[in-house]
Amino acid sequence: MSNIIEIAGLTYHYQFEGEEKFKALDDLYLQIPEGEYLALIGPNGSGKSTLARHLNALLLPSEGRVMVEGLSTSGEDNRYEIRKLVGMVFQNPDNQIVATTVEEDVAFGLENLAIPPEIIRRRVADALEMVGLANLAHHAPHLLSGGQKQRLAIAGVFAMQPRCLVLDEPTAMLDPRGRREVLETLKRLNHNEKITVVHITHFMEETLEADRIVIMDKGRVVHEGQPSDIFSGAIELEDLGLEIPSIPRVVQILRQGGLNVPPGILDVNQLVSYLC
Amino acid sequence: MLIETNNLSYVYMPGTPFQVEALKNITLGIEKGSFVGIIGETGSGKSTLVQHFNGLLKPTSGKVLIDGTDIWSQGYERGGLRARVALLFQYPEHQLFEETVFKDVAFGPRNLGLHGEDLSRRVRQGLEMIGLDYETYSKRSPFALSGGEKRRVALAGVLAMQPEIIVLDEPTAGMDPQGRLNLLRLIERLHKEENLTVILVTHNMEDIARLADRLLVFSKGKIVFQGTPAHVFSFAEEIKAMGLDVPPLVELVQELRKRGKSVAKGFLTAEETAAEILSGLSGRNKL
Repeated sequence: MSNIIEIAGLTYHYQFEGEEKFKALDDLYLQIPEGEYLALIGPNGSGKSTLARHLNALLLPSEGRVMVEGLSTSGEDNRYEIRKLVGMVFQNPDNQIVATTVEEDVAFGLENLAIPPEIIRRRVADALEMVGLANLAHHAPHLLSGGQKQRLAIAGVFAMQPRCLVLDEPTAMLDPRGRREVLETLKRLNHNEKITVVHITHFMEETLEADRIVIMDKGRVVHEGQPSDIFSGAIELEDLGLEIPSIPRVVQILRQGGLNVPPGILDVNQLVSYLC
Repeated sequence: MLIETNNLSYVYMPGTPFQVEALKNITLGIEKGSFVGIIGETGSGKSTLVQHFNGLLKPTSGKVLIDGTDIWSQGYERGGLRARVALLFQYPEHQLFEETVFKDVAFGPRNLGLHGEDLSRRVRQGLEMIGLDYETYSKRSPFALSGGEKRRVALAGVLAMQPEIIVLDEPTAGMDPQGRLNLLRLIERLHKEENLTVILVTHNMEDIARLADRLLVFSKGKIVFQGTPAHVFSFAEEIKAMGLDVPPLVELVQELRKRGKSVAKGFLTAEETAAEILSGLSGRNKL
């Protein structure tokens, strides 16, 4: 599989007036294969959001380079194309809504691309179908639940037909149902539409079904692997300000207690069927 | 009983097309020194309820009693109530506004009429309780702190009022795991050492199952379940249908018991659960 994103030697300094330079990304290397579901975790200040903003040229490298489908984000002529390829969704759904009805909100980006109305209509309908909001097309966005608003934000990006979706803590402000809805939508997007997903989160449980977990610390990638490897106990997650989800933690203690449970078990069903 | 509500109902925007009945006949009691968790979907009435505890909202009908006295009875000094019942809203760091950490933490106690040495002492106590060094932090701008520090400063401002009851609405939203665990440990310590009565509103089922001695589950403006976390989460199907989660550890034990394994209920940490599974293995009724 070819890589949709290739990052090599990426360093980024924040420089605020009157303050010293702050190095948020430090010689970072990362490759993201087309179609991957990647979970990006790490403590606050580790550089996750700064990295995310490099993936569609919202930020540009101080050093090194970021390539999206072979296009460098540093090339000014490439940015338009790159932003079509990589869509972003942020934490607070209320900051991402622009229109007075759900379908107009999804159409907003497309209208700016001067796409013919009949195509806009079809893409908006498809996008709302995709995120499960088709029945709310004419509703007012501010009356939606948090989970619905976040799915609306995803629909707006999806309608632009990106190849990659980057989500920066999309579930942080949601209740359990909203979180579930968004996660299911992301899985569907990845599985059915083959869209590459980069999902930043502080909820370790949300990473359990990812193809790969990448852990950042101090502006670098410090670990990467499948969830079953990352949570097998081999990595001291607590030292990185992270935590091991409760089921892998139980598995770890059971193994220390002499029970031969396979280390890759991640959820309740797997553990129950092993124990019974 | 420290806090009681008696048939409490609250209607937002009554008599308009936007009328919403947010609370419906809520009767509950919260004992001094307890740690109560409130869970429920967004819009289920949790935040509306807690805003009644210090008189920010006035019941549409029904009563709120603190120490047995109706806080809306004639002549009740509700101003003093704000110091006794401290409310920390969601994203409290958005409410920091002063030039220095000292001034921000001092804002509440100053409004209680404290000044000079007394005021400084309160600020110092508030900061010490949340584990930030007075000398290092008091002169700094609250806006130059990290997210976790800002949130703790907001909490210090509330603690400097020396409340008896602290109500926290989603205090860990948006924090990383380390920040979340640190803040929860801090709340746990305040509960134990300062004998604070804690009311915690949260969407994190695992945390609240571990911390609270009693849970109130809200749905559509009503309390649908209450009791110990073990009791409440034994209604797993109902809890899930309400849009909430059952902590994976609780689910694990339920599934094992369903399949006839001898594991006791009521364990809420990974360590305890694993130990119980292991002891079930060595017992007669093998797993």
